[in-house]
Amino acid sequence: MNALKEFFINLGLFFQGAFDMQQRSRGHIENEANDIMDQFMILCFGDYLGIDLPTSYYALELLPYLAEDLENWQSRMTDKKSIWEEKGAKLDMDP
Amino acid sequence: MGKIIFFGGKGGVGKTSCSTAYAIGLSQKGLKTLLVSTDPAHSISDLFSEPIGSEVKLLSENLYGIEINPEEESRLYINKVRMDLKKIMSPIIMEDLNKQLDAAIVSPGSHESALFDKMVTLIIDENESFDRIVFDTAPTGHTVRLLSLPELLGGWIESLMSKRKKTISLKNMIGRNREEEDPILTILSRRKENLEKARRIMMDEDQLEFAFVLNAERMPIQETKKAVELLRHYKIKVSTLVVNKILPEAAEDEFWRHKKLKEREYLKEIKEGIQADHIFEIPLFQEDMTENTICHMANFFSEKL
Repeated sequence: MNALKEFFINLGLFFQGAFDMQQRSRGHIENEANDIMDQFMILCFGDYLGIDLPTSYYALELLPYLAEDLENWQSRMTDKKSIWEEKGAKLDMDP
Repeated sequence: MGKIIFFGGKGGVGKTSCSTAYAIGLSQKGLKTLLVSTDPAHSISDLFSEPIGSEVKLLSENLYGIEINPEEESRLYINKVRMDLKKIMSPIIMEDLNKQLDAAIVSPGSHESALFDKMVTLIIDENESFDRIVFDTAPTGHTVRLLSLPELLGGWIESLMSKRKKTISLKNMIGRNREEEDPILTILSRRKENLEKARRIMMDEDQLEFAFVLNAERMPIQETKKAVELLRHYKIKVSTLVVNKILPEAAEDEFWRHKKLKEREYLKEIKEGIQADHIFEIPLFQEDMTENTICHMANFFSEKL
């Protein structure tokens, strides 16, 4: 009985190791969160990318809480290659 | 009669004089009235020949005034952001951000937003303490934009809040969220609350109304007709028309007789073509607009208020 239980636990570990489901779903969730955050940043600070928004004045008071992410986001958004890399990485070609 | 009255009209028809005289008329009737100037030229200070400024100030019995300075308001707001930023950002990044913030202070878009913000605050804060609030507003297009902003901003804030909530809940799923209360959501929901309060007041027919100032001439009539139509689209009632600078009857020479004749036609067109509950006819005054003339003008309003 114990041997059987151990076998199933090992089987589970094998699949987890082989397909890394948990890690991958964490990655998916993180990507999703980052995507939504990017949209949020565009709505707030689109004018930094040259998109004229009538709401930019009202977004300024959020700046103290977002300024840390702003620089990184701005360079990511203006750097086309890195966007394609990012989107490419999400397709996750590994078996 | 609404509680909050916006004065609109084409540039140069006499909005500031009429709204001031109207406010004086209301105060003479015993109504506690606040006159709000949104004109950066500070013309009501000139009319009362005393500085009024950006704090509510007593002008005469029952009459209070305040002048909104859009540039000053946007400077206050942006400098507050700057102070908050300084606490957390490195001086190198701060230098870069400072440039952006300095540019924002002087941008016309900021001034309009700051003006709108201050108007919303005044409507919410002073609504209870006054019987009437009279806004001497900018030209028509500007006013309409101002009134459509709650809708635009409301949609923007809602979208931001839903995105923020989604990010937080996703980060919670993978244990990446440490903070209890999100300061961004706190700021957004406070703004949303204020906007909703202001929208409720501004969309309430019994609370907010519009007064249009025009002259009995072709162009102001055309513009007023368009503006009335546009405001109806936003479900805002134009209840009052003020026909300003009406020529005296006794005209001697041909030029003025002809002008007077034309004016009568236009007056008829106004009365038949534009729907309003009250029409005030204000004569053209011989003297410049001083406190005396304004008080004289106020009589034309208080008689019929």
